[in-house]
Amino acid sequence: MHSTKRAMKIAFVPLILFFILFLVAPMLMTIWQSLYTDRVFSISPYLEAFTSSEIMMAMWNSLKVSSVSALVTTGIAFFLAYSIEMTNVAKPAKKFIQFGITLPMFLPTITYGFVLIYVFGNQGLLTKLIGKPLFAIYGFNGLLVGYILYTLPAAFILIQNAFYYVDKRFLLVSDLMGDRFIRKFYHTIFRPMLGAIGGAFVLTFVLSFTDFGIPASIGGTYEVIATTLYQTMLGSIPNFQQGAVISVLMLIPAIVSVVLLGALEKLNFQQTTISTTELTMNRWRDVTFGTVASIVAIVVLGIFAIMFVAPFTVAYPFNLTFTLDFLKRFIQMDELTTVYWHSIFVALFTAIVGVVVAFTSALLSARTTVKGHRSFDFIAMMTNTIPGMVLGLSYLFLFNNSSLKGTFMIIIICNIIHFFTTPYLMAKNALQKMDSNWEVIGELLHDSWFQTVYRVIIPNVKSTILEMFSYFFINAMVTVSGIIFLVSTETLLVSAKIKELQHFNKFNDIFILSIFILATNVLIKLICEFWLYKQKKKENAK
Amino acid sequence: MKNSVWLLLICSIVLVLTACSGKASENDKVIIYSNADEEAITAMEQALKDEGLSGKYIIQSMGTSELGGKMIAEGNKIEADVVTMASYFIDSAQKKNNMFTDIKGSKEAIDSQPSYALPILGNMGAIFVNTEVLKQKKLDTPTSIVDLTKPEYKDLVSIPNIMDSSTGWLLIQAILHQYGEEKGKEVLHNLLANVGPHLESSGSGPIKKVQTGEVAVGFGLRAQAVNAKVEGQPIQYIDPTEGNFSLTESVAVVNKGGDKQKLAMKIAKVIADKARPALLKQYPVALYKGETVAKEHEPKHATKWETPLTVDLLEQHQAFFKSAQ
Repeated sequence: MHSTKRAMKIAFVPLILFFILFLVAPMLMTIWQSLYTDRVFSISPYLEAFTSSEIMMAMWNSLKVSSVSALVTTGIAFFLAYSIEMTNVAKPAKKFIQFGITLPMFLPTITYGFVLIYVFGNQGLLTKLIGKPLFAIYGFNGLLVGYILYTLPAAFILIQNAFYYVDKRFLLVSDLMGDRFIRKFYHTIFRPMLGAIGGAFVLTFVLSFTDFGIPASIGGTYEVIATTLYQTMLGSIPNFQQGAVISVLMLIPAIVSVVLLGALEKLNFQQTTISTTELTMNRWRDVTFGTVASIVAIVVLGIFAIMFVAPFTVAYPFNLTFTLDFLKRFIQMDELTTVYWHSIFVALFTAIVGVVVAFTSALLSARTTVKGHRSFDFIAMMTNTIPGMVLGLSYLFLFNNSSLKGTFMIIIICNIIHFFTTPYLMAKNALQKMDSNWEVIGELLHDSWFQTVYRVIIPNVKSTILEMFSYFFINAMVTVSGIIFLVSTETLLVSAKIKELQHFNKFNDIFILSIFILATNVLIKLICEFWLYKQKKKENAK
Repeated sequence: MKNSVWLLLICSIVLVLTACSGKASENDKVIIYSNADEEAITAMEQALKDEGLSGKYIIQSMGTSELGGKMIAEGNKIEADVVTMASYFIDSAQKKNNMFTDIKGSKEAIDSQPSYALPILGNMGAIFVNTEVLKQKKLDTPTSIVDLTKPEYKDLVSIPNIMDSSTGWLLIQAILHQYGEEKGKEVLHNLLANVGPHLESSGSGPIKKVQTGEVAVGFGLRAQAVNAKVEGQPIQYIDPTEGNFSLTESVAVVNKGGDKQKLAMKIAKVIADKARPALLKQYPVALYKGETVAKEHEPKHATKWETPLTVDLLEQHQAFFKSAQ
C-alpha cells in the first residue's frame, strides 16, 4: 500500500508543479501587471479602461456579436442535430450533413475570413453570380457569419450527444396521449434538452467572444475586444499594462459562462437506460428536415470550396484558367514549407505530451485518493475559462526575460494548457466508468500501481486516448489566439503565418497553406478512425 | 523495474522538449525584421542572393506599427539582427533605446543621415483610380483628397490606416498641411465616412482594392499605381493638390555584438548598396547623390513636412486621426 502511494506521488508532484508554473503563475503575473505601475499599486488602470470609449466599445461589440451568433448557431445546431437523431433521413444524407458542418473544425479561424471575402466580397464569387453584394461583409455581418461557421460544429456535437440520452419512449407515450406537436415537442424533447441547449449557447458565446482569427481577417473597422487586445500589445505604442487590464476584463464573461454551465448541468436529465425505440414513420418530416439540413451542409461546403478554386486559377476572379503555378511556387518556397513542418512538429508534441498530462491528471483524479487529487478538476475549470489570447499574453509577461522566450517549448506548453479541459474530461469519464476494483486486484497480485495502469487500465481506454490525441493535434494545428503572442521568426506556425501573408494580401498562399492544414488534420482523423475500426474488429473476433 | 515507466516517460518528455527548445540566438541565421512591401523584399532578396548570402538569413515581415512597437518596447533584446523600417521609427527607437550600431554605406546621401542607419527607399503618396470602375459608376476623376469626401464616392474609397501603416501617415500629413487642424478634421471625418470598411491596415491594401475593382479610388504609394498603369491595368494615378508627401525607409543593425553582427552588417550593406538600383526602380525617389528618376515618376506636387518626422509627431497625428473618426 505504501509503495502505491509513493508511486502516485511520483506522478502527482511534477504534474501539479507543471500547472503551478504554467497556469497559476502566469495568471497571477497578468493580474500583477494590471495593477502595478511605476512602483505603485493602484486600480486606476481599471478605471481608465472603464472610461476608455475604445475599450468599452470593443467590449460591447464583442458581447453583441457573440450573443447574436450564439443564438443563431444554437438554433441551427439544434435543427441539424434533430434532423440527424430524430428523423429517418437516409443514412448517406445524414453522413453528408455531419461531414459538411464539421469540416470547418479542421481549419484555422483566420482562414474563414478570407474565404468569406472571396465568396461575399464585392468581387466575390456569389457577388459575381448575383450581380451585387448580398450584404456588407466587413464588420458585424462578416463576424456573425464567421462565428456561426466556427462554432456550429461544437454546438452540433454537444446537442447531438444530448439527443442520445433523450428517452424516445416518451415520444411514443406522447403520441398515444394525442398530444399536439408543440406540447409533445416541449415535454419530450425541448425540456429534457434544455441543459444541452443552454450549454451550447454558452459554449458558442465563449468561443466567439475569445476568437482572434475571424476579426483579424474580416473585422474591418468593427473593433472587438480580441483585436483591441492585440493592438494594445503590438501596436505602434505598446501599452503592456492596458493589455493586462483588457486580459483580466476578458476573463469576466468567461468566468460567468463557466458558472452558468455548472448551473445548466443541473437541468440535464440523467437517463439510466438508453432506449432504442424506433422513430415513428413520417415522410413529410423526413423530406423537409433532410432537405433543409442538406442545404445547410451544402452552403458550408460551398463557402469553403473557394479555397480549392482560387489558388488554382491564373488571376481569380478575372482569369479562371486552371494553373498549378501557385502550388509549384509554394512548394519551392522554403519559408512556407518550413512553417508547415513547424506546425506539424508543434501539433505532434502538443498531442503526445498533452495526452500524457491530461491522462495522468485524470487518472490521479478519478482513480486515486492521493492528497489533492481533486485539484485537477479545479485546474480543468480554470483552463476552460481562460481565453487562449489571455494565456499567451500571460506567458509573454512571465517568460519574456527567460530562455523560454521564442521557443517551441513554450508554444507547446501553452497549447497543452489551453486545450487541457476537453481531453481531461474525456479521460476522466472513461476512467470513472471502469471497474473500481482493478487496482485492488492488481495489488493482491503484487503488481505495482504503475504496472496495473500499464497492463490493465491503459489497454481499456485506448480509444479514448486516441480521441484525446486527435483533439490535441487538430486544435494545435489550427489555433491562432493561443500562440499569437508567443511565436517568433524561428518558431512561426502556419496559423500565424497566415496573418502575416494577409499583410501582403497573398490569398493564394493563404489558401494553399489552409489546404495543407486541412489535409493534415483530415489525415490524422482518418488514421485514428481506421485504427479504432481495426481495434473493434479485433475485439469482435475474439 | 517497470515501476518507473511513468517517471521515465515524464523525464524523457522533459528532455525532448528541452532539446527542441532551440533558441533563435543559438541559430546562426541573421534575422531581418522588415515592414517593407512585397516588391521591396523581392528586390532585397535578389541582391542578397546575388551576393551569395542565400540561406544565411530569414526575413520576417510585419506591419509598420507592429515592428515599431517591438523596437520601442524591446530595444536590443529584439529578436532581429537587422531592421528595415521607416526612418523616423529607427531614429526614435535609437533615441530611446540606443539599440543600433554605427554603419557606413558606400554612397553619399542627399539629405544628412544619422550614423546608425542607411536609407534604402523613399515612399511617396498619391491618389489612384480604377478607370473602369469610375466609368461603371459614372464618377468624375478626382483631383484632390477633398474631392474624395463627396457623397458619390461613398463606400468606393480605400485608404491606409495611420494607426498601422506609415503610408496612412502621408495622407494625414497632406490633409493637415493643407487644411490645418480644424478644417482638416472635418475633411478627414467626411473622408472616413466615405471609406467605411475599406480602411486598410497595410499600405498596399488600397492599391489591391482598386486593382480588383473592390473600390474605385484609393490613396497609397504613387509608385505602385504607376507600375500598375505601365502593366496595362485600368489604373490612373493622380497627384493630389494637397501635395505628394514622402517618407524614407532605412536599414539598421541591432547592436548585439558577436560574430553574427558582422554578418548582419554585411547583409545590411548589401541591402543599402546592391539592392538600391532595383529599389529605386520600384520606389522612384532619389535618396543618394547622382540618382535620377524617370519622367513619369516625377510628382506634380512634391512636398515635405516642415519639421523632422518623429514618433512623437506620429502620435500627435494619430490622435488627430482618432478625433476625426
